[in-house]
Amino acid sequence: MKFKCILNGWAPNVKAQAEELNSFMNSFLGNGANPASTILFYANHEDRHSLPGLVPTECAEFVRIDRCQPETILEALQRIEDKEDTSLYLFPAGFAGAELAVRWAFRQKGSSLVQVEQVAPREGCLIAKKKAYADHVLAAFRLTRQPFCISPANGSVDRLPIAARDNLQIIEHDLTGLREDAFARDSQRIPAEQAKDLGAGKFLVVGGRGLGSKEHVKQLKDVAAAMGAEFGISRPVALNAWGPMQWLIGVSGTIARPDVCIAAGVSGAAAFYAGIEKSKIIIAINSDPQARIIKAADVAIIDDYKTVMDELLKILKPIKPAI
Amino acid sequence: MKILVCFKAAPNVEMLLEEDWVINNELQVDTSFVRNDLGSYEESALEMALKLSDASDDLGIPLELNALTVDGSGATPILKTLSALRFATVVRIQPRNNLLFQPTAVASIISQYIRQHALQDVVLLGRQSDIGENAKTPLLAAEMLGWPCITRATRIEPADKKHLIVTHQVDDGYAREKVRMPCVISVGDAPCTYLRKPTLRDRLDYGKKDIEVLTMEDFQLPAETEMLTGLEILHHERAGVVIEGKSPAEKAKVLYEEHLKPVLSGKEVKR
Ligand SMILES: Cc1cc2nc3c(=O)[nH]c(=O)nc-3n(C[C@H](O)[C@H](O)[C@H](O)COP(=O)(O)OP(=O)(O)OC[C@H]3O[C@@H](n4cnc5c(N)ncnc54)[C@H](O)[C@@H]3O)c2cc1C
Ligand SMILES: Nc1ncnc2c1ncn2[C@@H]1O[C@H](COP(=O)(O)O)[C@@H](O)[C@H]1O
Repeated sequence: MKFKCILNGWAPNVKAQAEELNSFMNSFLGNGANPASTILFYANHEDRHSLPGLVPTECAEFVRIDRCQPETILEALQRIEDKEDTSLYLFPAGFAGAELAVRWAFRQKGSSLVQVEQVAPREGCLIAKKKAYADHVLAAFRLTRQPFCISPANGSVDRLPIAARDNLQIIEHDLTGLREDAFARDSQRIPAEQAKDLGAGKFLVVGGRGLGSKEHVKQLKDVAAAMGAEFGISRPVALNAWGPMQWLIGVSGTIARPDVCIAAGVSGAAAFYAGIEKSKIIIAINSDPQARIIKAADVAIIDDYKTVMDELLKILKPIKPAI
Repeated sequence: MKILVCFKAAPNVEMLLEEDWVINNELQVDTSFVRNDLGSYEESALEMALKLSDASDDLGIPLELNALTVDGSGATPILKTLSALRFATVVRIQPRNNLLFQPTAVASIISQYIRQHALQDVVLLGRQSDIGENAKTPLLAAEMLGWPCITRATRIEPADKKHLIVTHQVDDGYAREKVRMPCVISVGDAPCTYLRKPTLRDRLDYGKKDIEVLTMEDFQLPAETEMLTGLEILHHERAGVVIEGKSPAEKAKVLYEEHLKPVLSGKEVKR
């Protein structure tokens, strides 16, 4: 099955996206068994030299465009891919990847699935699995029409570093000047408040709606910092604007992989739990003994989160954890 | 300016108990006995439409709000609330079967409705439904209408009669752009967008209006190219050891001594 990876060299996290696709390919599409190449979009001449290090396949096409809007990328793809016989396109897990997968499949009269956890080619079809029912269920789909366009779920695979290649075959395209009539204009970028990689910390404290107020969120963040832990929040906390969206843990935010995770005042909904499920130890602090998080944790304390965390800080602060 | 918000009422599955998670012969989980809520992204979409309407009023830009769901009669209470919130038309299209995992069909019905029944300037949808979680409907609707699409909007403001200012999530933060209509907008994680409640007065004055119900006779369905073939319940159980103690201080001490100390001192963690 001939397949292509699509990467957006514009995204600041393009390296992470490339490493995730590399891992996804390795896990599900047989190591080198299927002929593969990569199409990489980029903007500036200065970025050109770093592109080869992002390519997880033996062949690559580097496409220079001057707008990173999906509309432009789709049109550029149409120009270079029109008569191709690619069976499968693999888009990255980021926002743009899922969007491009669906729209590209529609334009190519193929089939698509996004937030995919696993894929397996079978008898000319593709079996792909993703979560549904607010993440309580893994649903399997049969994709029947080629090209299959897939985008993996956020954090569904680890990152696999890209091996350096001396014999990378490269085709270059310059498609600047496409889509002068862009429908979205005067674009202002507002960078994320926190660029730090929340998913990489070893010790994580997460606060949920049980914290009750913006002030309490700030207090718990300070307690976490004093313990040497990163701090994340659940979706209702972010939606109440008690903390910025960049701190969100869960399927819609960061999938964390810490050694220790303390979940305070969260009920443990599946869409949240996916964000801490890869922790080695999960500690829940919740005042409700019936909360779902209790059974989904390794250790639980049934009590008011605030008093417990304050007591824990008294013990931890003088110690300074080594992780 | 005409705005159509598309939404789907979803059973609140957090209310299900562990033993309620059973897959039936029709490849569904029976959720008929739990309350239907608005999907979380759709709730934001509806409130953002109302905020846009308030701001347009202030600028003297005429704006008409409409709402559409492709769903059974279970959605009626939500549609009545939307009437009371002064949505001009609230429409329900009765599907022949459950379209939970058929975003292509839903997008096709939405785009046919817009083309053949009520042309709009903007279609607002959630980026993802709570139960189907397909995350495809807005994108497919945009393709079918041949309109551009802005995804994961967190704020929509009026600019003039032909443009909106949309702030939306992108890979490295947010972008704020002036967007030409017509377009499709999918709503992302937008803070402070819980749906307002209609006043009692508005419930009485507007909430009793008839809901327009259309049947599938008016619509054609495309072939599905992604077929659901199986569902598997995910379980998330761990040891769940509950620490007993007389006071929070005592519990914190046990937590530290027995569970945290070995890990925090840098020792290898085993699960
Ligand atoms: C498509 C989709 C994607 C989603 N993505 C995400 C995501 O990425 N991240 C996410 O978090 N959610 C996500 N959600 C939402 C998720 O389903 C839940 O609604 C959410 O995780 C609940 O957050 P919570 O646990 O903070 O709040 P609640 O469910 O309200 O729980 C609050 C908990 O705090 C406890 N509590 C109250 N007071 C105290 C106290 N003083 N001390 C201790 N405990 C206390 C209560 O007993 C309760 O268990 C998503 C939902 C959908 C449908
Ligand atoms: N049956 C439906 N009727 C109306 N709108 C829908 C329906 N299903 C999905 N949508 C809209 O499409 C969005 C994305 O849904 P989905 O592609 O299923 O994740 C939802 O948030 C809704 O706004």
